[in-house]
Amino acid sequence: MDPSEVEFLAEKETVKIIPNFSLDKVYLIGGDLGPFNPGLPVSVPVWLALNLKQRQKCRIVPPEWMDADKLEEIRELERKEDTFTPIPSPHYMELTKLLLNHAADNIPKADEIRTLVKDIWDTRIAKLRLSADSFITQQEAHAKLDNLTLMEINTTRTFLLDSLKYMYKLRSNLQPGSGKSQDY
Amino acid sequence: MFVTCIRKEFYDVVVNQRVALLVALDIDALCACKILQALFHCDQVQYTLVPVAGWQDLGTAFLEHKGQYRYFVLINCGANVELLETLQPEEDTTFFVLDTHRPVDVVNVYNDTQIKLLIKQDDDLGVPSYDDIFRDDEDDEDGGDSGNESDDGSEPSGKRRRFDEGAMERRIERQRAKREWEARRREILFDYEQYEYHGTSAAMVIFELAWVMTKDTKDMLWWAVIGLTDQWVHDKITQMKYVTDIATLQRHVSRHNHRNEDEENSLSIDCMRISFEYDLRLSLYQHWSLYESICNTSYTSCSFKLWSINGQKRLQEFLADMGLPLKQVKQKFNSMDVSIKENLREVIEESSSKFGMKDIRIQTFGVHFGFKNRFLAADVVHAATAVLEGVEKGEGAADNFIRALDCLSRSNLDRLHLGLDLAKKKLKAVQQTVASCICTNLILSQGPFLYCWVMLFHLLLFSKPLALTLLSKYLLKAFICSTRNKRCKILPLIMAVPLDVEKGTLMVLGIPPESETSDKKNFFGRAFEKAAESTSSRALHDHFDTSIIELKTEDRGKFLDALITLLS
Repeated sequence: MDPSEVEFLAEKETVKIIPNFSLDKVYLIGGDLGPFNPGLPVSVPVWLALNLKQRQKCRIVPPEWMDADKLEEIRELERKEDTFTPIPSPHYMELTKLLLNHAADNIPKADEIRTLVKDIWDTRIAKLRLSADSFITQQEAHAKLDNLTLMEINTTRTFLLDSLKYMYKLRSNLQPGSGKSQDY
Repeated sequence: MFVTCIRKEFYDVVVNQRVALLVALDIDALCACKILQALFHCDQVQYTLVPVAGWQDLGTAFLEHKGQYRYFVLINCGANVELLETLQPEEDTTFFVLDTHRPVDVVNVYNDTQIKLLIKQDDDLGVPSYDDIFRDDEDDEDGGDSGNESDDGSEPSGKRRRFDEGAMERRIERQRAKREWEARRREILFDYEQYEYHGTSAAMVIFELAWVMTKDTKDMLWWAVIGLTDQWVHDKITQMKYVTDIATLQRHVSRHNHRNEDEENSLSIDCMRISFEYDLRLSLYQHWSLYESICNTSYTSCSFKLWSINGQKRLQEFLADMGLPLKQVKQKFNSMDVSIKENLREVIEESSSKFGMKDIRIQTFGVHFGFKNRFLAADVVHAATAVLEGVEKGEGAADNFIRALDCLSRSNLDRLHLGLDLAKKKLKAVQQTVASCICTNLILSQGPFLYCWVMLFHLLLFSKPLALTLLSKYLLKAFICSTRNKRCKILPLIMAVPLDVEKGTLMVLGIPPESETSDKKNFFGRAFEKAAESTSSRALHDHFDTSIIELKTEDRGKFLDALITLLS
C-alpha cells in the first residue's frame, strides 16, 4: 500500500470544526454532514475540514488527544513498556501531519506536539523492528502484535513479506532431496 | 462611476462569473493581484490572468478575450485615459478599474454603466463637477439645463440670462455664453489633467475588501504592506500619505497579532508574524553587508557624496564614530558580532544625525517565519522588482511576471533569494551609473529642466521603466547634493536611455523637481504629448505612467527644443 493511500483512509476520521457560514444538512453516500451554523461546533470528516480551512470557512478544533501533556504521558508509557501501548487514535501520525501542516494556527503548542508525536512514532517503529528481528532469528511460526496502526504496519509490510518469501525459498533449496527449482 | 460599497457592487457581482484580470507591471499591482487571486480561490471563481505592459498590450488582451468575458478587472491601469473610446467594447461588458494613477479621466468618472472605479472617494481627487464639463446641447430652447447628476459644483454652469427681447439677441447671447462656457471648460480640464500623481495603493484597497468580508489573512496583510512600500520605494506618494497609510496598516497588524498569541499558547514557529519596525533606511542591509548597503542606498550615498574621495573619507569617519571595525562592517550582516548588532539602529541614528542625515530610520513592517526567514517590506519590493524586470536572455515579460508573482508567496523562498541577488546587482549598477554621471558632468541644464543622456553600461537594465525611475530619482538627488548652482536645485530632470538599437528608439522619462515637501505631481505627461504633437515627432505614449514615452532617436533634438520652448 502506498503511504498516500493510508493517508487517504485516515481522512475519513472525524474532527470538530467551527464554521463561519451556514448550510443545511448535506446528504452524502458516506453519511450525513450536519447542518452548519456559524459559531457552533460540528463534526465533519478530516477531508472536508481541511478543504474548508483552506477556503477560510472554518476553524479547526484540535482533537482531545492532541495535547502536549497527554502526548507526553503516552510517550513515557511507550518508552517503559516492551509491547505496544494503546494509542488514542488509529491514525495519529497522519492526522498530526495533516492538521499541523494546514491548521497550525488553530493548535496550541504545535511545535511541541510535532516533536512528541515523532518521538512516539520512533519508539514504536523501533519496537516493531526488534520484534520482526526476533521473529526471524527464532524462526517462529506466528506472532501477535496488538495496538499497531495501519501506517506502522505499512512501513514494514513489503520488506517483511518479501524477505520471508526469499528466506523460505533459500531454506527449501538447502534441504536435501528437493533439487527441483521452486517457483513462487 | 465610483463604487460606494466595494463588496456589493464588485465582489458579489463577479463571484458567480468568469472574470479576466488585466494587471499592469508594477509591484503594487502584483500584490493586489495576489490578494484578489486568494479571494477567488476561496470562492472558486474562474478567472484569467493577463499581464499588460502598456496600452497596446491592454488593447490586444482585450481583443483576445472580449468574446468570452463580460467582466474585466483592470489593476493599476486604465483610469487615466478614456477607456471606452480606447477599447470600444460591447454594451454589456463591465470594467472594474482599480488604479492608482490620477487624475482619473472625467469620462470614466461620469460613465454610469460600464466603468466602475474601485477608488475611495476621499482620496483627494478633485474631480470637476458634471455641469462644468458636459452639457446637453439644445439649439433652440433657451433652457438647457445639463444637470442629470450634478455634484455640489464649485461653479454653476453658464448663467442663462433670459432676455425678453428678440430671438436674434437671445441667440447671440447664447452663443457667447456657450463660448465662455467652453473656454472655462478647457481651463478646468487643463488644470485637472495637468499634473499626474498616484493615489492609495491598489493592494490596500483590495485588502480592505477582504477585511470587510472577514476573509483577510496575514498573507494578504503582508501583500498589502508590500504594495504600500512599493509606492514609497519608487517615490510615488508623499511622505505624509505614506505615514497615514502605515498607521492604517498598523491597526490591522495589531489586530492580527493580538488574535492568536499569549504566553501559554504560543504559536508555531512556522506561522507568519508581521511586526511594526522603526528600522534603518539602508536597502537590503540584513541580506548584505552593512558597508555595501550604506554605499548603495541613495539616501546615505548622496549625503556622504560617495562618488568623491572626500565622501569616502567621510564614510570612514562615520564608521569610526560609531566604533564599528571595518572588518565587521564588510562582513555579511548575519555573521556580524551579536554585540554590534544589538544596538545597531540606535547607534547609527545617533551618528547619522551628527553627519546631517536626520531621517535614517523609517517606519515600516517586517515579517518573520520559520527560524531564519526575516524580511523587511522594502527588501521584498526590491527583490520582486528585480525579478519583474529581469534581463536574462530568452525570457519574456510574461515569464518574469509569473516569476515575480511566485517570489511574493511564502513557499518560494529560493525565488525570493534569487530576487535579492538580482536586486543587489541592480543597486550596484545604479550606484556606478550615478557616480560616473556626476563625475563626468553628464547632466546638462537646458533652461527649464535638467537633461541626462545615458550612454554608458547597463543599458539593458535601465531600459525598463521601474529601474529607470529609480536611477533618475537617485541621480537627481545626487546632482542636487553635488552642485553649487542654486537655481539648478529646483529643476526637474529628463532622462533618455536607448531602448532598441535596431529600431532606433529611446525611452524618455521626466521626473518632478526634488524637494523635502514635494507633492510628487508630475507635469511631464502633458508636456511630452504637446511637444510631440507640435514637432510631429514619432513618439509612442504607451506606458500607463504618462511621463514615460518612447521616441525615435532622430527626433530627439527637435523634441527637446520644443519642450524647452513649452516649459520656459
